[in-house]
Amino acid sequence: MIKVNNAYKTYSTHDRREVKALVDFSTHIKKGEVVVIIGPSGSGKSTFLRCLNRLEEIDSGEILINGVDIYGKKVNINKVREDIGMVFQLFNLFPHKTVIENITLAQKIVRKRNREEALEIARDLLNKVGILEKEKNYPSQLSGGQQQRVAIARALAMHPKIMMFDEATSALDPEMIGEVLDVMKKLAREGMTMAVVTHEMGFAREVSDRVVFMDGGKIVEEGTAEHFFTNPIHERTKLFLSQIL
Amino acid sequence: MTFNKRSLITLAILAGIIATAYYFFVTKGITYIWHWEKVPEMLFYYGSRSADDPIPGLHMGVLMMGFVLTLKISIVSTIFGIIIGIIVGIARLSKEPVTRGISLAYVELIRNTPLLVQIFIIYFFVGSMLRLSAFVAGTAALSIFAGAYVGEIVRAGIQSIHKGQMEASRSLGMSYTQAMRHVILPQALKRIIPPLAGQFISLIKDSSLVSVIALADIMFQGQQAVARTYYTFEIYFTVAFLYLIMTFSLSMATQYIERRMAISD
Repeated sequence: MIKVNNAYKTYSTHDRREVKALVDFSTHIKKGEVVVIIGPSGSGKSTFLRCLNRLEEIDSGEILINGVDIYGKKVNINKVREDIGMVFQLFNLFPHKTVIENITLAQKIVRKRNREEALEIARDLLNKVGILEKEKNYPSQLSGGQQQRVAIARALAMHPKIMMFDEATSALDPEMIGEVLDVMKKLAREGMTMAVVTHEMGFAREVSDRVVFMDGGKIVEEGTAEHFFTNPIHERTKLFLSQIL
Repeated sequence: MTFNKRSLITLAILAGIIATAYYFFVTKGITYIWHWEKVPEMLFYYGSRSADDPIPGLHMGVLMMGFVLTLKISIVSTIFGIIIGIIVGIARLSKEPVTRGISLAYVELIRNTPLLVQIFIIYFFVGSMLRLSAFVAGTAALSIFAGAYVGEIVRAGIQSIHKGQMEASRSLGMSYTQAMRHVILPQALKRIIPPLAGQFISLIKDSSLVSVIALADIMFQGQQAVARTYYTFEIYFTVAFLYLIMTFSLSMATQYIERRMAISD
């Protein structure tokens, strides 16, 4: 489903430091697979996700999604993105729109669904993430956990084939992390293809098929969550896990 | 409720300042014979307009006619100022260096030359080439002038919106234009209402400069009336008051809009 071949990506920070975010990076995510990406900050895990829908561009290499080279000249990136849902650390809900409008906007203007259809899909999803009663509220009236669940519903409304989560629970108060993770777990069990950047090892253990540990733009080690808990091989992995567990 | 109370207080303070100044001017100032009774007929009068149109009726006086024209000029150039401003604001943030360069050149050129000179150039130079009427030339000059300032305000407004908003929109499959139209601009415009209001209040006042190309706006009519009657102070006070009506209404309207739009905060 997602194939990354020899991707390179370097960016410069505000103080003009060059950061190697992806170095000869290759991986393959199969349909229905749930991949958790962990690693220290600056290791390139967010960049990896953001290059998958071209919010950022790789310098060289190729990324194939369902066999389509998304960096190809003739590719309509907007079409590609319709199939890839993304959930952000800071939710990025549209503050000037109500919850229901947040979920129907892109359905109407991108998927060209009519009002009734879009509303029906939106309500279904709000029900699924458990906040149907908040549909007329504005994002600012919701807790962080509720906002993130709306953001997930907004992405799902496009009926994506892949969902990406970029530290979706990192900005939440501890007591709200659970409600968001529950939605993500439900999604994983339904067979959604997922790429999840997170530090929630409990989530990884419960639903992930594979955990990827990144550092310095490379995959240092990958395997099942169980493997990471029981016998990580590399020193760097051990050190990192000892800090987050 | 608070809306009415607050604007009443503002009005009362304004009236107080004017009354005090007027009192000192009349009693302690120069000798001047006031003819306030001549002012109402410059606003409205009952009678026949001319020999061709002898049926008497209620007609607008010269100052009211000027007021209406100033209002027209201000409304038209505000609308075009917003349109130009939005285009320029977006162009200033373009990835395309040529677009960015042209829009920056426009902003710098307009902001760094006097409006009066721009009006002359547009009326006498561009206007005579394209055979523009004084009204078209005047409103064009004011729109182009306002557009440069509004462009900078719009640019700042867009830049103040968190980049996550654009990323979220694009990741949902929206094009850049769709994201701008449905997500970024509505938020940016809401945020820039206060500086925009200031800009358009300035525009109403700056519109007095079009009197130099013989556009019969309120300033022009006022000057003519003064030349005719020598009721200098009465007329200019009235002119100032008529400007005040327009600008004060605009600031009240924007405060109302601001409060209405604060719902989602």
